[in-house]
Amino acid sequence: MGFKLPTLLDGAMGTMLQAGGMKPGTIPETLNITDPEKVAAVHRAYLQAGSRAVYANTFGANGLKLKHTGYTVREVVSAGIRIARECAAETGALAALDAGPLGVMVEPLGSLPFEDAVELYREVMRAGKDAGADLVVIETMSDLTETRAALLAAKEETDLPVMVTMSFDETGRTFTGCTPASMARTLEGLGADAVGVNCSLGPAEMVPIVQEIRRNTRLPVIAKPNAGLPDPVTGKYGVDAEAFARAMEALAAAGAEILGGCCGTDPSFIRALAGREYPAAGRPEIGGAVCTGPVCVRTDGIRVIGERINPTGKKRMQQALLQEDLDYLVEMAIRQADAGADILDVNVGYPGVDEVTMLPRAVRAIQAAVDLPLQLDTTDPAALEAALRVYSGKAAVNSVNGKEESLRTVLPLVKKYGAAVVGLTLDENGIPDTAEKRFAIAEKILNRALEAGIPREDVWIDCLTLTVSAQQEQAAETLKAVRLVTERLGLKTVLGVSNISFGLPNRLLVTEAFLCSALEAGLTMPIVNPNQKEIMDMIAARRALSGEDAECRAYVERFAGETNENGAAEKKAAPAEMTLGEAIRRGLRKEAGRLTAEALATRKEMELVEQELIPALEETGEKYEQGKVFLPQLLSAAQAAQAAFEEIRGSLLKKGEKGTDRGRLIMATVQGDIHDIGKNIVITVLENYGYRVKDLGKDVSPETVVEEARKTGVRLVGLSALMTTTLPAMAETVKRLKELPDPPKVMVGGAVVTEEYARSIGADYYGKDVRDAVKITGKVFGS
Amino acid sequence: MRVPVEEALRYLGAAGAGGETRQMAEEAAALLESRLRPRFLWRAFRTERGDGEILLPEAGIRLPGRLAENMLEQCETAVLAVCTLGAGFDRLEQEWEARDMARAAVMDACGSAWTEAVCDAAEEEISRRFPDLYRTDRFSPGYGDLPLSLQADFLWALDAERRLGVTANESFLLLPCKSVTAVIGLSDRPQGAKIRGCGFCGLREDCAYRRGGKFCGI
Repeated sequence: MGFKLPTLLDGAMGTMLQAGGMKPGTIPETLNITDPEKVAAVHRAYLQAGSRAVYANTFGANGLKLKHTGYTVREVVSAGIRIARECAAETGALAALDAGPLGVMVEPLGSLPFEDAVELYREVMRAGKDAGADLVVIETMSDLTETRAALLAAKEETDLPVMVTMSFDETGRTFTGCTPASMARTLEGLGADAVGVNCSLGPAEMVPIVQEIRRNTRLPVIAKPNAGLPDPVTGKYGVDAEAFARAMEALAAAGAEILGGCCGTDPSFIRALAGREYPAAGRPEIGGAVCTGPVCVRTDGIRVIGERINPTGKKRMQQALLQEDLDYLVEMAIRQADAGADILDVNVGYPGVDEVTMLPRAVRAIQAAVDLPLQLDTTDPAALEAALRVYSGKAAVNSVNGKEESLRTVLPLVKKYGAAVVGLTLDENGIPDTAEKRFAIAEKILNRALEAGIPREDVWIDCLTLTVSAQQEQAAETLKAVRLVTERLGLKTVLGVSNISFGLPNRLLVTEAFLCSALEAGLTMPIVNPNQKEIMDMIAARRALSGEDAECRAYVERFAGETNENGAAEKKAAPAEMTLGEAIRRGLRKEAGRLTAEALATRKEMELVEQELIPALEETGEKYEQGKVFLPQLLSAAQAAQAAFEEIRGSLLKKGEKGTDRGRLIMATVQGDIHDIGKNIVITVLENYGYRVKDLGKDVSPETVVEEARKTGVRLVGLSALMTTTLPAMAETVKRLKELPDPPKVMVGGAVVTEEYARSIGADYYGKDVRDAVKITGKVFGS
Repeated sequence: MRVPVEEALRYLGAAGAGGETRQMAEEAAALLESRLRPRFLWRAFRTERGDGEILLPEAGIRLPGRLAENMLEQCETAVLAVCTLGAGFDRLEQEWEARDMARAAVMDACGSAWTEAVCDAAEEEISRRFPDLYRTDRFSPGYGDLPLSLQADFLWALDAERRLGVTANESFLLLPCKSVTAVIGLSDRPQGAKIRGCGFCGLREDCAYRRGGKFCGI
């Protein structure tokens, strides 16, 4: 890049400004305009102490934090960069644009949409570039999603080098659970020039974090620790400059090459660092990996890719996608995660489904509940890019192939978003019938990926499984190709194993035998159904045989006790003779599902709903009203009814009939409100009375609710608010709904809502609890 | 620090419940304890009396209204505190809402009860640092006439975004969701109870508990 990163940074800005007499409550970045000399004095002190780069006073200079200051981002950032540049020019040092967290949380933890976060950072980056910053620093980040937004903005708006540091606590994670490994993998992939850690800890506590970063990146590593922790009474930090500089030796030995200080440090700390020689650490081989914030999966062993989120041949999944029922996808993700999958393939391609919107939605929904890395499986480059943008972590892409068109469109996206990629050994002439020809395509894909700047370990090859009943001789060719790619190219291989047995009796046996042979040939990432116990047993055995499972510990554990596929969810034993109603009342999901399936042999779907499901739910609801059962039982019963409904839905689907639909409504937690478990509880119960509920989520603007109501023409809208500060948003939403030409009924509820208030804002119904909501909904839909 | 299961059951409207409900609460508590690390942060500030408000000059904070005046009238020092279960709780709750809503509801109650327990632990630590001073009841923005908008100021004064990862949105709600900010006054004279009980509560006019002849416990 022809640009050398600085090795000695500066220390704290805030600490120094406070010491310099900044008034409490001042937004520090506004000093760039109101008192530039104060800011310049801090820069000069650090430069004189030996800093080779200073961070401009722009840490919180974003559109959200400056909102009420009367200054624009451009004004504050330009002034900050100008001060830093002028000071840095005196010693030939660099001036860095400094961008910190936005101060609100990004989805799914918070309600700021990802692209809004990118846009807020873009504004900062543009202003910094135009003002002449030498480099960009993104620091003190906690949420990997927000960090990605900042880095994407920096890369898309500037050509400047970017250094990124996140803050980890003594548990070795950020506050939002991101690991150092995941940070390093994700940010190197996205094009950071250096990564590391700042704030939160003192230098001694940072050593294991820097070590883990070093093991996961080829980039220079930054360490900018605090001077220990501040005392809550005096505000003084615990570590002095000499002790700090001494402790930094261990950090340098662990692999940190770019050093500086954070909260509590001052120029004396930088002077102490400048006066010492630090050892250079070696650079270990990093190997391949994919990750999410909390989980980093290295590709140095057998890794199971779950295949179940894919509509091909799965009616229920097709229906879920057509109805935008993301809960079903999440459920499938959780089941595969519980069954031991390491990575989940996500494919939402089906006629009638708009992949460009659905794939990123699916990614977001799954990532809100499941930590496993995802493999984005699509043939549509636009859908792929949309999903790669929102994916938090380092994803895998399934797939590129040897066709020119594919190489040209997919590889640049893989490079830009720092993903791993599966290369399919087929090209314009189809799937070659010999292993050698497939190997040649693999080699071509690898070379093109390397040319595109994708590291070797991020290229996985799929030698393609063909159905043995149709093309028998091809099974051997596939296995041979896997061996060639493994041995000659040293790449990891992926294989959709289940295809092999299509059309044969006792499919599982054939699949298992093929899986075993493929693993022997070098396959490391089988794409399988992890819910099939026999498959996962086989993989556990292979891991024991290969030595990957040290001392066969995982194997022994797997078979030591009874495995319960539902985990903690269902421990209650069911008596031999139980009615469906009883299973629902007792909240036994599996039993309820099984009994429904049995009953469907002799009884009609709607008859079961009317005569068994609803009465059982009603009885539980009445007992809840009487205080004889509590909320958890009410919800358990609802969920058991859901299992029954699933069977009924499946049965109707098979006959080509529409699902049970007793009425449709919209539910939302109002704008500004972020607590939505109350609303979610109501939805769970309503859905299990057979109502179709469209959940708009939390912090939903009046416009969104009204637009959805207008578009769908639903007859009932439910709104929830928890805090007095968000009641006005509820009133506004109701008012706007009532202005529609054919307004729906509105039911409101939530901790601070009262009957009187509901009436005063023009709502039709006040639901004091979940039971009330069921009664109201019944009234509206006349059931 | 343990999750107070009994308290969580009370939040669920299932005080003293046994059997399945209690078992669910105990399991949720065990899961939370194994996965999360609650944290708190506090800082002591000198107080000054203003016109109808208490000032904390070192923090740049004004506490307007009768509640603050009444609570802190004999206090030379006020402690600002923020306590949180962290974003890990929000994550876990989202996961369990997808797995099992009944357990998610129980987990939510356990989280609320635990957050209060974390505040108690913070108070104990404060007591240890000021063994000669008496504490007032702790109170929070949103209680009585103390504006909820102070949440953001408290976070700023404590550098809580950086140090605990706690943020406030535009409606002044805290994220992660199980987070609390509070004020505790410190005085050289014993401090009577001034805040706990319905007489002090802004919701007393239409409180569901009171209408049902019950008490929320705060």
